[in-house]
Amino acid sequence: MNEKTVKITVSRFNPATDKEAHLQSYLVPITEGLSVLGALDYIYETLDSSLSYYDHAACAQGICKTCMSKINGEPALLCQTQLTEDMIVEPLDRFIVVRDIVTKKRGR
Amino acid sequence: MRKTKINIKSIQTDVLVAGSGGAGFRSAIGAREKGAKVLLVSKGRLARCGATPMAGADLTCHGKGMRAAGFFGEPRDSEEKFFSDIVHQGCFLNDQRLTEIYVKDGPDRLKEMVEWGMRVNTSDERAVDAPGTVMVDAVYRQARRSGVETLEDVVILGLYTRENEVIGALGLDLKAGEFLRIQAKAVILATGGWHKAYSVVTGSRELTGDGVAMALRAGAELTDMEFITFACNVIYWPSSYRGSIFTYVLSLVVGGELKNSDGQLVYDQYDPWMIDYANKTEWNKSFISIISGKEINKGKALSHGGLRYIPGRKSFEEFDQLVQDSYKDWVFHCASFIDLREKMRNGEGIEVGPAAEYFEGGIAVNEDFAASLPGLYAAGECASSVFGANRVSAATMEMLVSGARAGWAAGEYAFSQPSWDIDPKQEDTLLQSILAPLFRESGEKPSVIRKELQRQSQKLMGPVRNESEMAEYLSFLDALKTAVIPHLATTLKDLPYNKEWIEAIDLANMVDTMQACCRASLFRKESRGVHYREDYPNVDNTNWLKEVVIQQANGNWRISTRPVNTYKLSPPSGTIPYMDFTKNMMRSHSDIGGHH
Repeated sequence: MNEKTVKITVSRFNPATDKEAHLQSYLVPITEGLSVLGALDYIYETLDSSLSYYDHAACAQGICKTCMSKINGEPALLCQTQLTEDMIVEPLDRFIVVRDIVTKKRGR
Repeated sequence: MRKTKINIKSIQTDVLVAGSGGAGFRSAIGAREKGAKVLLVSKGRLARCGATPMAGADLTCHGKGMRAAGFFGEPRDSEEKFFSDIVHQGCFLNDQRLTEIYVKDGPDRLKEMVEWGMRVNTSDERAVDAPGTVMVDAVYRQARRSGVETLEDVVILGLYTRENEVIGALGLDLKAGEFLRIQAKAVILATGGWHKAYSVVTGSRELTGDGVAMALRAGAELTDMEFITFACNVIYWPSSYRGSIFTYVLSLVVGGELKNSDGQLVYDQYDPWMIDYANKTEWNKSFISIISGKEINKGKALSHGGLRYIPGRKSFEEFDQLVQDSYKDWVFHCASFIDLREKMRNGEGIEVGPAAEYFEGGIAVNEDFAASLPGLYAAGECASSVFGANRVSAATMEMLVSGARAGWAAGEYAFSQPSWDIDPKQEDTLLQSILAPLFRESGEKPSVIRKELQRQSQKLMGPVRNESEMAEYLSFLDALKTAVIPHLATTLKDLPYNKEWIEAIDLANMVDTMQACCRASLFRKESRGVHYREDYPNVDNTNWLKEVVIQQANGNWRISTRPVNTYKLSPPSGTIPYMDFTKNMMRSHSDIGGHH
């Protein structure tokens, strides 16, 4: 079976132990139509269950916009971005990081 | 091991609403209309979680009511006709008093939505059409205007009770990792369905049956849990589109055919009148899902468990034109489906199949949408009985009708109640079970168990059921409850947005809820509406014009029945094969044409 893999690098931050964020990379096999959200699901389910991203109430269909993150430096929806090449996933700028790429608004 | 610090903040309100879909907001507005102080708590982003924002959607109301609200509606329509249609669609299992309320209250609910800013795309003989986001935004804005307080990313974990009365709820602020002790004189659950118990999910990821599970655990009655609508033709593959109803909508609006793994046209095996009628209305969800389920059970599914959706008798050009008339460039609900266009063009088609989409049953309610425990109310999808055995009319109207009534009733009730102190022992027991996966050093991984649950639900509790599969599923669930859930452990041990911990909490709710569904499903030994059993393929009006009532007391299951409220329309009698009965119900539709 010909399975292409790409490298996803995710910003990690554990509020209990870390002073600042660091990047961590994972290899993810590409399946047809795999979105970046799907790739994070793969990592969380099979490689690293400490990975957190806002998904507990995500629609995964481009409607709720809660998965908005910084992908390769630009704001984009995780669920609507297809995974085709190596990518870096980080939290949006100007928000406070709660854990990994989960953020909250300033002033809360 | 370092002791984890637990913070609990106390909040007081008159009426607590759990849920931020249409039912949640309309309940909150209703309680404010009675002058109560209202706190609405949303598990995810306000007005952008649950099922409402994902809906197509239509809002159904009888033709005369449509005209009263300023729309063109079918002049030959009437309350009586709409009522009769909904009861026939529900295969006579509807609580007719609740159905009557749905019909009578419709025009007022529709009018106020327009006043509150809902802009409608189109209207037809019995419905207006607007995206779900537009509908929820209208009630969200009105809720804010009327002074409803809101919190988001807070999950309600369980109900506080005092001598069987509901006096509040325990919540968890997911990002802060802090608990909320919410004292409320009335609680309205508007928590929606439990789509995530299945592996193809049409709703949002937080729909895990929270309200139904906590009501069950508090001792409330549930009814109609065996009735689960599966939307047909939902995308199974490619994975990024999994759960999308785009192809369902296309099959309704444009047409198309299904092929099995042998390349046979699935619809050709069935009564052409029924196929044609079903494909034009929301009867498709029960009927087409059941015939899809039969195909899949015969072993004729494609590699991801679905069937092949193709343009069929239409040429691709014709099909494409029809799609683009409604969804230019194949954009649906802000997402692009343009790469699926190529699959439809080259004959590959799109892999689709039944996906759990709506739950007819839930918390048993009366005309005030009050549950069986004082102080508890339920609105929207988590409440039972309006649609009986099969929903065809709009759930969006249900959320507004039930929301308004639950809100008014809860608001009035709140004025007669003192504020009760929470029992610290009850709270502590709840906290310990919620925190257990964090405190456990090692154990079962929540995501692994959840995926297994989803696989088993999809395989054994789908649209086509039988005794041995359901018994296997029940054993599986019972084993999860007794031997696995008590051993869940998270990797991370601190509280702020601990994804695995949230997963463990949701998993416990899904197991409780699906146990109720499976027990009810095994108990009903007949087929009716969306509950189809290969081993009991007849509709049995002699023995089964009853609601199955599920309750828990001290962890023990109580299953009983009660007669259906059929005070206005008498049900048919005798035992009739499922297909014949279903066709009769379809044919009994009022003479007003259209899709509803």
